[in-house]
Formats: sequence, structure tokens, C-alpha cells
Amino acid sequence: MKIKSILIANRGEIAIRIIKTAKKMGIRSYVIKTAKEPGAWYLEEADEIIDFSEKFDETIPEFLDIERIIKSAKKHKVDAIHPGYGFLAENPGFAKRCEEEKIAFIGPSHDAIYRMGHKTIAKELARESNVPLLGGSPGAVADAEEARKFANEIGYPVILKAAAGGGGRGMRVVEKEKDIERMFNLATNEAEKAFNNPDVFLERFVREPRHIEFQILGDQHGNVVHLGERECSIQRKHQKLLEESPSPALDKALRKTMGDAAINIAKSVNYYSAGTVEFLLDKDNSFSFMEMNTRIQVEHPVTEKVTGIDLIEQMIRIAEGEKLAFTQKDIKLNGWAIEWRINAEDVQSGFSPSLGTIEKISWSENEHIRVDTGVRDGSVITPYYDSMIAKLIVHAETREKALQQSSLAIKKFWIKGTKTTLAFCRAVLQNRNFRKGNFNTSFLSKELKLHYHQEPDEALLAAFFATYDYAREINENEEKPLHTKNGNMITPWVLNKRLR
Amino acid sequence: MARAAKKKKTTSLIALSATNKAYEFKKPLEKKIKYQGEVVEIKLHEDSKGFSYIVWKKKKYLLDVIEKKQNRYTIMINGVWHSFTVETPISLKRKRYLEQQNNSSSSVSIEAPMPGKIIDIMVEEGGEVKEGEPIIILEAMKMQNEITSHVTGIIHAISVKKNDSVMKDDVLIEIKRA
Amino acid sequence: MDVKGKNFSRFLERQQAHNDQHDARAEAKQHSKGKLTAWERIDILFDEDTFEEVDAFVTADKANTGFGKVQQAFGDGVIIGHGLIRGRLTFAYAQDFTVMGGSLGTVHAAKIMKIQDMALKMGAPMIGLIDSGGARIQEGVASLAGYAGIFYRNVQSSGVIPQISVILGPAAGGAVYSPSITDFVFMTDQTSYMFVTGPNVVKEVLNEDVSLNDLGGAGVHSKKSGVAHLIYPDEENTLMGVRQLLAYLPSNNMENSPEMELSDDETADFEEILRDIVPDDPNKPYDVIDVIRQIVDKRSFYEIAENYAQNIVIGFGRLDGKVIGIVANQPKVLAGTLDINSSSKGARFIRFCDTFNIPLLILEDVPGFLPGIDQEHNGIIRHGAKMLYAFADATVPRITVILRKSYGGAYCVMNSKNLGGDFNFSWPTAEIAVMGPEGAVAILYRKELDDSDDPAAMKKELATKYRSEIANPYVAEERGFIDEVIDPAETRLKLIRAYEALETKHITTPARKHGNIPL
Repeated sequence: MKIKSILIANRGEIAIRIIKTAKKMGIRSYVIKTAKEPGAWYLEEADEIIDFSEKFDETIPEFLDIERIIKSAKKHKVDAIHPGYGFLAENPGFAKRCEEEKIAFIGPSHDAIYRMGHKTIAKELARESNVPLLGGSPGAVADAEEARKFANEIGYPVILKAAAGGGGRGMRVVEKEKDIERMFNLATNEAEKAFNNPDVFLERFVREPRHIEFQILGDQHGNVVHLGERECSIQRKHQKLLEESPSPALDKALRKTMGDAAINIAKSVNYYSAGTVEFLLDKDNSFSFMEMNTRIQVEHPVTEKVTGIDLIEQMIRIAEGEKLAFTQKDIKLNGWAIEWRINAEDVQSGFSPSLGTIEKISWSENEHIRVDTGVRDGSVITPYYDSMIAKLIVHAETREKALQQSSLAIKKFWIKGTKTTLAFCRAVLQNRNFRKGNFNTSFLSKELKLHYHQEPDEALLAAFFATYDYAREINENEEKPLHTKNGNMITPWVLNKRLR
Repeated sequence: MARAAKKKKTTSLIALSATNKAYEFKKPLEKKIKYQGEVVEIKLHEDSKGFSYIVWKKKKYLLDVIEKKQNRYTIMINGVWHSFTVETPISLKRKRYLEQQNNSSSSVSIEAPMPGKIIDIMVEEGGEVKEGEPIIILEAMKMQNEITSHVTGIIHAISVKKNDSVMKDDVLIEIKRA
Repeated sequence: MDVKGKNFSRFLERQQAHNDQHDARAEAKQHSKGKLTAWERIDILFDEDTFEEVDAFVTADKANTGFGKVQQAFGDGVIIGHGLIRGRLTFAYAQDFTVMGGSLGTVHAAKIMKIQDMALKMGAPMIGLIDSGGARIQEGVASLAGYAGIFYRNVQSSGVIPQISVILGPAAGGAVYSPSITDFVFMTDQTSYMFVTGPNVVKEVLNEDVSLNDLGGAGVHSKKSGVAHLIYPDEENTLMGVRQLLAYLPSNNMENSPEMELSDDETADFEEILRDIVPDDPNKPYDVIDVIRQIVDKRSFYEIAENYAQNIVIGFGRLDGKVIGIVANQPKVLAGTLDINSSSKGARFIRFCDTFNIPLLILEDVPGFLPGIDQEHNGIIRHGAKMLYAFADATVPRITVILRKSYGGAYCVMNSKNLGGDFNFSWPTAEIAVMGPEGAVAILYRKELDDSDDPAAMKKELATKYRSEIANPYVAEERGFIDEVIDPAETRLKLIRAYEALETKHITTPARKHGNIPL
């Protein structure tokens, strides 16, 4: 089946990213307008807008309203739905409803989503596929007491993770027994909030591992390939801040071993579409399976840059039923790509969200640079969605050159109106061990002492400008002449009025 | 008291940072800084796109005023923000005097760093709290943020309840310094 | 000592004696409390070298020294006089804490009354710089009588000349009532206090421990009590703030406020951004100050009482150089509802503008009055009426722009057409009706909704119908309750022209002593 129209059940940069490929393939794109972002840029890029701004139900956010989305898709007779990432991307119920309504779901089968989304089933599948695993609770932990029991068995530190989770929410590391009850409550509470499911499970916490993930592509005919790895170790509280491909930690042999493991896991659920298998890599190069993300990832562009493959296009073709046009040996990793996430966050106050209006945004463009963004001048960062402003992707022949180009690109990436993580990017680039490729997930907490970088005279210049602006304002207030003449010429009319 | 003979208007201004570092500028409106013994000119520009920047020793520095209220400023230079209060020599002296007095006995208020909802309060009035200990969980942007105490002391007052919505800078908890 | 052959020696001796009174130790003590001396304050407040002192040589009443000691100082602890502020005549008194704690004795009070009388006679603003321990106990009833005399003059001057009180130290007991009658109260953070009974009395009577600052500091009065209108971190900024405020005020009720020339980078007459500030979602908040800033001349908005009853925003601004008073609902706080505090805050400001010929601009986005037992029991009926009364009673030009919600009684109150609004504009985003769609539908179609299979869908459909048939600005426009629905981008231009048209507004009201505002 040829897909002629796509409803994108998402917003921001990923909606724009999908529209771009759709345009290239001659596919009509539909997007959803919400009351929360009625002036958003992605609406203008799409061919058609479906208006959700009149809300039915306060409790179901627009991009999670399965029935409303399905209804709209049918009303507009769209062929397919792309969920993007987040929201309904890993909701098996949504994929199932699409299948039932004969709308192509651009992603894997609902069964694969379900099984990989269910941490205990996923672990069982990995075990069956002979992929190494971390020890821990077999399923959800019933209460803090049970968590304590498991933790004592496998030894501290342990990590509590939301069974339905991802993206760092509902995750807590417990270092000592005395914290387990508090952390358990925090994790379940957060899991409940974020995923509507308070279940958490517990596993051994690997200290200072690398976070390596493999991009998978599979078709509906049983072919699965991997497109190399992504290095995602630079994280804060399990939120990725930058990603690169390839990883400085992998050689050819390890890439093959891990890649094969990833393919095996995918095959265990007859996986098709794009997916990502996440591993923890220990210092001795032993690795263990963490989870599989059954969707397109935020950081997919780095893989696109080194492989030259448009992942969104592949997802659409696979959804159409096409066979993969390449095999594993056709996949070549070319050069080095790094993605810098530029978020509206206050790096100097522990990465807290920084809401506001992006008054101006600009960057320099050249053959090394790709910028994926959903904002432009005047866009508002709202508390309703994530705080991402843009992804700056830099591609060059070698890691060293990619870092050089990154340095230039970050310097020329200008944003006015909100606090951003750009100063953090600078700090990372300045770090010797990062430049050497020698880092792991503890990079932020241990290696990077100051989470932002500033040049020597910047504080002085800021101080100067504060005094300058203050003096200028007083000067302006004091020196502008006041005209009182008009007031003194009182007409009989006015006089009468005053003496009413 | 008789009228003391003194000249009132001095143009010297001091930017005092949050960490109490003082930067004094004699005549800020003249846009010159004395720097390592020489006088260096500061140029303020705005480009065609509307970005403001400072040119200082031939280098460009992106400039953004994040916050400005009375004499309180938060200025961002190249993506890093700096908070100052602008003081005159007299008001700086006043500040120092008052600080001296306040240091002896003072309660510290913990304020909400961002708007959000109170999910949990982990301390009780009269309880002890150590520096760095979490005291409140505030949900904002779908994240649960632990608000920690930056002082060690006794919880003096809790001004919020579970499930309260708070605005940025609302006082959550007051702690009497130990 | 001779000057050009004339004998001035007595004169010069007195001058010398007055100069000798300058006490470096007392000055240092005042500084060590973070405070400035009375003269330093006057120097900052007035244009350089323009202040002329009056009654520099008076001393305390010698008849009243039977009990305790009274210091015989020139000036008796208060400086009075006149000078220029941005070129305009202004009268002031400044209490001197270094002389008997700035306490108010008979002579001290007489001086203040003298300068109050002069300010009223001359029709010029009166400013009090207050730093006083209160009534001078040694002088007994005479000092109390002094306070009463000051209050009397405050009241006589009210609505004739602007009166401003600047609290720069303690203001305790009876002393607080003079500031509370005046039009604006400034306070300096950390070093000024106001209370009727101090912490010691509170401790004695109620056995409660409370610090000076927690009882009556600048924070308390700007956020909780609403007594103080403007708070600054130090005395220089406080006094500069007074200068800034005065630029918006006429010298007396027979004048208009001074005008100011527009600078080159002035706000454009067409501001497209105004079309986007109000969100499509009627339940989504926004900051009405963003709207104000786009409408008035650049950097001209001067907010009053910004920390108190934040659900209403009041302040001065300039429109094409001419001063206006702005009253705006703040959707960011309590959804912009009217409650007891916001009603009194708004009402007093409206009264001020009316007495001093400052045209009013009302920016309306109000879902109604704040519901609740607390509000009803504390008299929202009485207090809400103040605002209504103040609007209806105001004879200055008044213009309303409805930005979004305008429901029920709150519609009437916020300077509606039939309350005497001169021009009532509305943005296309407005919803004007007796109540919001959800509430109206639930009442009008209760039975039908109960019987429906899908009440949610029906409710939504009815709400949409309600919006298109009733709750929109066009119905009001067609019936003349709205003079014009305007493009938000053109608001500034429309307002400038409307105020121009209203410049000679004249209303004849029935002869009466004064109305009876529900206080």
C-alpha cells in the first residue's frame, strides 16, 4: 500500500522533521493544533491542520487522546499516523486502534510495543535471546519492604525504575538502605504521574557505565539490520544532553557483538520499523540490556548523518510493506556526528526549566551543520511540553573535526529571551576527558565541576552593563523635560468640571 | 543637625554580585572601563536581527537582559547569567551594615524556583534540617523537583500545603539558621 | 564681626551655633543602622541646591519640660522647607531621628503644620520623610494635639495637592495615620516599620513574639496589609522613586499632569504582537502587564502596589506623552477575579486619578467576583461596591477595553457603558455575558443534559452555540454597549484618538456636600 497522507500525532521539531520527509516523498501531512500552542511553527509547515483547540476533556491532553485522534484521522481519510516520540509513540493500545481502523501505524506492531514496553517481558525475551542482563526484581516491586528485600539480596547501589517508563522519569538510584523507603515512594509517585502506572522494578545499579544504544531497522518480512550505535553517556538525571555516533568506546568487534545482540532482541518480537536497543557498557566492555525503545528517538539525526539513511523515510516505507533496500554489509559508518541538545534550562540552577519567549534565534549554516528545531523568533516555551529548543547536529570526518566544528557552531548559536544549555555545551567542549572520548554516565556529577563555561571577562561585562543600564534609565527619567504649561491654562470648561 | 556641606551627585556605581563581588565603574555612561591599568572602550551594538551584543577588545559578547527590577539586574553574557544589584557607594555601605546585623540572627526563606504544584512536604515545623537535605517536592514541567535546603537549621514555618499551586518566588518554608 | 561695615555678628554667631549642632557621632550612628540623615535625604530628593529651609532656629517648647528631659536643639528634630523636584515647586518635611529619636513635640508638630499649610496655599505637592519614634512623651497631650493637627491638614489637603509619605525609619502609634491618609506611601526595605502597637505591646497583651519586621516591615505592608504602595531596597532608590512618581502627578487638582515628549524609539501605533498576547484558550493565563507595556509609551508604565492584591494591576503610564491611570485585571493571578483587597486597591486608585484629573484606562479580563465563604463573610458586597462607586463617581475621561472575559456583576463594575464609560472598546477575543458558557449551559439546559446519552458532547455543542450567539463582543456592539470592536494591534492609536476627543469632557453633577461611598 502506498501512503499518500500522514497524520502526525505530535508537535514541535519532530513534527517538522516528519513533514520534511513527507514533502520529499510527496505525502500530504496533517498536524494537530492545540490551544496550548496555537501559533506554533509546525502548524505552518504542514499541509493541513486539524483543530483540537476546543477541548472536550481537561483530563486527557490532546496528543494522548487516542479516540479523538483516530476519529480525526478517519474523518480526513488519512492513510497513516506517525506518532513521533513521546506521547502515544509507545502506547500499544494506540497502535492497535490504528490497526483496527485500517490506518497504517508508522512504527512497530502493537504486540512488539507491548512486549518491549513491559520491562519484565522484555527482560525475559532478552534472556531467551542470550543477551546479558542486570540482576534485580523479576517484576514490579509491591512495596518498600519488598524493594528492601531485593536490594539486600543483590547489594547496593540499586536503581528503581518505572515499569512503564523511559526518559528518566520515575527513576531513582538508592545508595543506602536507609533511603530505600523514601526513594521508593518518590519513584512510584513520579511513575504514577508520568505514566499513569505506579509500578516500579528494581535492578542492580552499574556504577559509572556508558550508555550505548543501537539503532535498528526491520521490515515486515523478517529482515533486521542495525545502523551502528549512539553514545548517550552524557546525561543528567537520566536525561540525555548530547549524543554522538559512533561511540569512542567501541571498536569493530564490540560493535558487531552488541549490534548482533540488538538484532536478536528485535527479532525476538518480530520487530519492524525503526527502534533502539539500549545497553549499559561496563568498564571491562561487558554490556547488559536495558530496554528497547520502539519508536524514533530524539537523537536519530546523528545516525542519519553517519549512515546517510533517512530514518523517517525508512519508517514510512516499512509501514507501506516495502522490503529493506539494504543489508547489514551495505551499512557504512561515515565520519562522526554529534548532537547537542539546546534546552530552555537554567544550567546555573541545576538545569531547572526556564520558561519564556524565544525572542530571537539564529545560527550559522554550513555543510557540517544540521539544526532540527520547532521554534523560531517569538515562539513560547510553555510548561506543557518539554523544554527542548533545538538540536544542533554537527557532522565531520573525524571526532576531532566534529568537535572543532561544534565549537564554532555553538559560538554562533545565538538565542535571546531565555536561559539555555548552550553554556553547558561550551563547558563540555572545554573538558579534556570529553575531548579524549574518555567519559561515562558520571561525567556530569564527577568530571564536569562547573556545568557552564564562561570567558574571563564576561562577569565584568555583565556588571558593567547593569550599571550602565541603571545609570541610563535614571538619566532618561531625570533629563526628559516635563511640560506643565498645558495644565496651567485652564479653560472655563475644565474649571467648571473641577468645581463640580 | 545643621546642613553638612557636601556634594550630592556622584556618578560612580557599583554592581554587586550574588557572591558579594563588587565591580565599581566611575562613569558608566561614558562606556569605558579601567582594565589592567588602561582604559578600554566598550561598544554596545544591536544587529539587524535584533540581537544585542558588546564588543570588548575586538570580541563579540552576546548580551541579554533576563531580569530587571528597580536596582536588581540579571544579565546574560554568552548564555551565562550574572545577577547584580546596582549600588551607589552610600547604598553599598548600608548593605554592608545591614548584612552585619542580619548575620547574627536570621531566618532564611526557601522560595519556589519555578511555578508548580507541591507534591510532598518532607519536613515538619520545629524539625531540624541539614544543608542539602530535600524539604519539598515541587512538580513543574512534568518533572518532580526536589527542593533542598541551602542552610542548616530548624523549620520555623511552612507556608504551603500539599497540592498547593505556587508561583515563582513564593515563600515555601522558613528556616531559622542553626 | 563686620560684613561691609555692618554689624552682623549676632546673625553670624547664630549661624555658627546652628552649624555646630552638626554631630558627627550621631550621623555615624544613623549610618550604622543603614539609614541616611535627614539632610542627606533632602539632598537626594530635591534638585541640586534648590532646597530652602524654613524655621531652622525654632527649639522645643520650654514650658513642657517638667517630666523627663527635652533636648533644646535648633529645628526640634524636623527640617521643613521647599525646593524643586524636576523643576517643580515641592514642599517637604524630614524628621531627624538623631534629635530625640525624631519624636513629635509641640514645636516639631507646629513646623510640620506650617509647611502643610504653605503647600496647600501654594498648590504644590507635600512630601513627608518620616523617621520618628512617635509622640514625645515628655510633652504629653500637646504632642498628641500636634498629631491631630497634622491629620486635619492631611485631610484638608486630600484631593487638592498630592501628598506622599516616605517611611524611612519607625512610624509607630498615632504617627501611622498621617501616612495612611496621604495618597502614596513609600517604604524602604529592612529599615522602616509601621505599626499601631509595637512588638512589646503585642507581647504584653497577646503573649506573642513578633519581630519589628514581621509585624510592620516593608514586606508586610506591601504584600499583606496594602498600607505601603512602593517598596525599594535602599533609601536612595526610594527617594529617586518619589521623584519618578511626581513626574506623573499634577501639582494640584486645578492642573493637569505634566506632559513628556516622546523619544525617537517610541512605541509604534500598530503593534501586531498585541494580537497574540491573549491566548486562544480562555482558561489560559497571561500577564496583563505585557499588554499595558505594548499600549503605553515605551518605559512609561509605573506600577503602584504591585505586590498587594496582585489580581488587579494599577499604575500610571503615558499615552502620547499624556499621563493616564491604568486599572487592569490580572489573569495571571486568581484568574483576574475581583475580591475584597483588589476592589479596595482599585477603588482608591480610581479616586486618586479622578481628583487629580488623570484620565482612566480600564483593561478588562474578569471572570467575576471571587467566590467563597471567606469573601462573603468579610464583606465582598461592601468592598466590591467601592470600586463600582469610584468608577461611577469619576468625572475624568474613562475608557474600557475588554480584552477577554467580562462576566456578570464584574462586567457592570469594570466601568461598563451604563456606569458612565466614555468609550467602551472590545477586542475580538472578548466574551461578554451574564456568566461563562459552562455555567450558563448547565443552568439553561439542566434537564436536557440529564436526559442526554452523551452529556459531555451536548454540553460542548451548547457551549459553542452560547459563545457564538451570546458570549461575544458583537452582540454587545450591535446593541451599543460596546462602541467598537477593535483590532488589538490598533489599540494604542484608538486610545490616543479617544482621549483626544475626551479632552474637554464636562459633566454636571447635582449639588451635594459629598457622596456617601460605602467605606
